[in-house]
Parts: sequence; structure tokens; C-alpha cells
Amino acid sequence: MYTLEIENVTKRYGHDVVVDDLTFTVGPGRVTGFLGPNGAGKSTTMKILLDLAKADRGRATIGGSRYRELKDPTRSVGVVLEPNAFHPGRSGRNHLRILTDGAGIPAGRIDQALETVGLTKAADRHVGTYSLGMRQRLGLAAALLGDPPVLVLDEPGNGLDPQGIRWLRDLLRQRAADGGTVFVSSHLLAEVEHLADEVVVLSHGRLVATGALSTLQQAGTSVGTPEPERLTHLLQGAGATVRTGSEGRLVVRGLEIAEIGDRACAAGIALHALIPETGSLEELFLDWTSNDDTHVDGAGTADVTTTERQAVPL
Amino acid sequence: MTWLRLVRGELRKLTTTKMPWGFLAVLVVLAGIDAAVVAFGTDMDGSKTFIATAADQQSLMAFAFNAMLGAALFGAIAVAREYGHGTVVPTFLTAPRRQRAGLAQLTAVLIAGAVLALAGQALVIAAVAVALPSTGYGFMVSAGGIAQILAASTLAGAAGAVLGAGLGAVIRNLGGAVATVMLVLFVLPPLAVQLVSAAASWIPPTLFAVISGVSPEISLWAALMAVAAWALVPAAAGLVSVQRRDVT
Repeated sequence: MYTLEIENVTKRYGHDVVVDDLTFTVGPGRVTGFLGPNGAGKSTTMKILLDLAKADRGRATIGGSRYRELKDPTRSVGVVLEPNAFHPGRSGRNHLRILTDGAGIPAGRIDQALETVGLTKAADRHVGTYSLGMRQRLGLAAALLGDPPVLVLDEPGNGLDPQGIRWLRDLLRQRAADGGTVFVSSHLLAEVEHLADEVVVLSHGRLVATGALSTLQQAGTSVGTPEPERLTHLLQGAGATVRTGSEGRLVVRGLEIAEIGDRACAAGIALHALIPETGSLEELFLDWTSNDDTHVDGAGTADVTTTERQAVPL
Repeated sequence: MTWLRLVRGELRKLTTTKMPWGFLAVLVVLAGIDAAVVAFGTDMDGSKTFIATAADQQSLMAFAFNAMLGAALFGAIAVAREYGHGTVVPTFLTAPRRQRAGLAQLTAVLIAGAVLALAGQALVIAAVAVALPSTGYGFMVSAGGIAQILAASTLAGAAGAVLGAGLGAVIRNLGGAVATVMLVLFVLPPLAVQLVSAAASWIPPTLFAVISGVSPEISLWAALMAVAAWALVPAAAGLVSVQRRDVT
């Protein structure tokens, strides 16, 4: 059982802070989705976790150890980072042979991995002739060669057809069900909604949300009021994210339902509706990542329970 | 054992693309040009005195500097394209202590460079040997002379490949790495000689002329040490770069 821990990690490239004091944990037995807009720092965070980039501050560990300290890294962690990290003139099988040679993995695993990802027939073709989806499958075959308990996958669903997406979902859920640690970044929010048990959300290199997806999805409130602008200003001042939903109602996240009522009452704002609301991941994602000017506190996150956190916006 | 596995993986990288075959094809062409020069070339006075003695023939066949240049390009391309294609990522994931991976890569490139250079020199010797009978001159180079130029070219290939690989690891861009190899081996040496005439004894063409037995400019040992320095300084810079820089 491996837990991935990112502790106070900061990474700068020149004057740009790409990852800013990031802290979160990815546990075993679950699929954790890693979300954020382009340039949010997801890939950099993964590279720091895998010792491909050095953090300026903080520590990233896998099962308590730095990646470089793992005794047998390819049998511990399977990785997909770059969809095109192949020599186009080399066959898929030879790409995997190079990895088994270097890692000391029996060559017999190559055929098993190719069969798992459905690439057996194309194995001896040059990778340059592969579609993006086939390259993703080859990357997944490489990640699975050592049958590792941890998977760190950056956008593994890119280019996969619907059957491939379904296959990938089943594969990752099975790995998690077997006790594996699955950490997967994706832009396909609908897919993450089907796949992930937990999510970690970044925006501008900072953590804006983390916790169980089901809990986060329920942590919103639909509010009806004749004074929406005043109430919006009031609640944003208290650290909530507020957007206008259907029928002119406000959708509020980041404050408990009772606190919304209390604050409205104290301000003399009438409420016509105060209803717990379940949001789609897409709505949540836009709430978390599109209100970057309304940052309230330095931490950027607030506890929902002792183990699950919901973000307030930056 | 782990390191030997890495070397094996790196050798497989080099042998599973068309690049070595491309370089071998160039070597065949060069050998053909040498054969044509022997068969059809003449001195200014129309004679063939450039192949009249064993020393002339050995000098004509001495391939070591060409081997160093070719192998340097081979090493630079082999390493820089790893960064270009991103295939260095799985390498560093397999061997996260990157100096070990870097050393394995240098070793594999050294072996490949030496083999290519040896093949190139053997092809040149064979081509000249085939062409000589058409000129009225026999093949006069002794077995010892042949062994010396084969050894010199093999060494030159190994050194050149390590030099190129080191520069490839520092530059990480294919075009930039190739241009830097040309700069280091073609532009800088004559420039250095222009500035300091004594530098002429320590530039690769002179060093390999000494090692090939066609020039007594400096001692053999001094030449060997200088060749090692030409290879190891860029290699060390490459290893430091591999260790310190992020993979982006």
C-alpha cells in the first residue's frame, strides 16, 4: 500500500511560480483525479513526484520515500507522462524491450502488457504509424510492465476512442479495487466524474479543492433571494464562491447552509429558497477555477470534515 | 548488474532505429571515394606518388579524425534526440539516479562509436586494397601499420562518440548539438592554432595523426591523454547537466 504525499511543494521557473506551496495526499485503494486548467501545474507536480523536476521547496514522496529512493521504481510506480514520448522509427515492441532490459523485467511481460492494452497486432509496427490512441495504449503498456501498485498517469485518456475510455476506466478502477494507488490527471471532466473517488484540483499552481468527489458535489446550496447582488457580495466576502444558477437562483459553495441563512438574516436579506444542491463536476470545476480574483484567505482551502476538504476560491 | 542492464537497454535503443545503418551507409560511400581517389587520382604532375610508399598509403588510409567527427555526430544525435522525442523520460524513471543512466548511455554510445569507426576504417582499408592493383602499386602497409590505424580509428570513434554524447546532453537540441560538434571539432581547433601556434600539437587531427603512426609531433602517450581529455571534458559536462537539470 503506497500513499503519495505532496508536502508544501513550491516550484518556480524563473519568476513564474508554477506550483505554490502545494500540499495534498493520494491514498491507496482509490482513484484520485488530478484536475486543473492548462498551466495549473499538474504535470510539473507529477514530475516533481517522480524526481524528473526538483522542487524549490517541500517534499514529494511515494510510500514515504522519494522516487529516487525506491528500491525498484518500475515495479513500484507505473507512469504515463508524455503521449508522444516514443521514437517514431522504433516498433512498439522494441520500445517495451528497452524498458524491460533497463528495469530487469522478464521479456515475457511484454506480450502480456501488449495484450492487456490491445496492441498485440500492431506491436511490430513503427510507432510513427500509430494513432494518438495507440500511442496512449503503448504508454499504458509501458506503465503496466512492472505490474506496479502505483499508477501516475497524465491525461491517459487523450486520443482514446469511447471503447478505449471504457477499457481504461475499468482497468484503473480494478487496480484501485485491488488496493493500488491510482493518480490520474485529465481534462475529461465527465470521465473523471465516472472514474474518480477523490479529486485534487489546482489553479495557478495552488490547491483549490481536494476530497471525496461525492462529498464535494453535495457541498453546494441553491439560494433564492430578491437581492441577489447584495447577497453575492456578502457571501463572497465570507469566502464563498457564488454564481448564478437556473431560475435566477444563486449557487453557493464554501459555506454551510446554516451559515448562509444566518449571514443573510443578520444582513436583513430575505431568502425565498435555501436548498442543498448537487453539482456536476464541470460546474464545480468552473467554480473552483474561474474565480481567481476572489481569494479570501491565504490557505485557499477549508475543511469540510476532518478528512475531506472543500476549497474556497483563490 | 543494474548498470549493465541499463547499458543493455541503451544499446538496444541504438540498434532499434535506422540511425546506425545510415552512418554505415555513409562509411561505405567514404570508402568508395577513397577507392576512386586511389584508382583515378593523381598528383599535380600526373604521377601517383601519393601512394608510392608504405607511409604514403598508411597516411592516405588513416581515418581516425574522420572517425572522431562521424562518431561525435552519432553520439550527439543519439543523446539529443532522446530529449527531443521525450524517450529520456522512461530512462530516468527506470534509473532515477540519473548519473547511472547517463553513464550507461555514454558507455553504449562509446561502444557503438568504436564499432562504427572500426567498420569505417576496415572499409577504407579494403577499398584501398581493392583499388591499388589498378595503379601499378602494391599494398605496402605492414600488418603492424594496419593494426595501428585500426586501433587509432577505434579509439577515435569511442572518443568522438563520448564527446558528442556529452555535448548532446548539455545542448539537448538536435540541431544545436550537431552545430556544436562541428564548432568544437572544425572551427575551434584552427581558431585556437591562430591564437596560440603551440595548440597545433593538441588538436584532434594532429593527435590522431600521431596515434595512427603518420606523425611524430608529440609522444603517443601524450596524444592518448589529450584525446581522453577531448572526450571526457564534454562527457563530464553532460553528466553534470543530466544530474542537475529538470526534464521538461
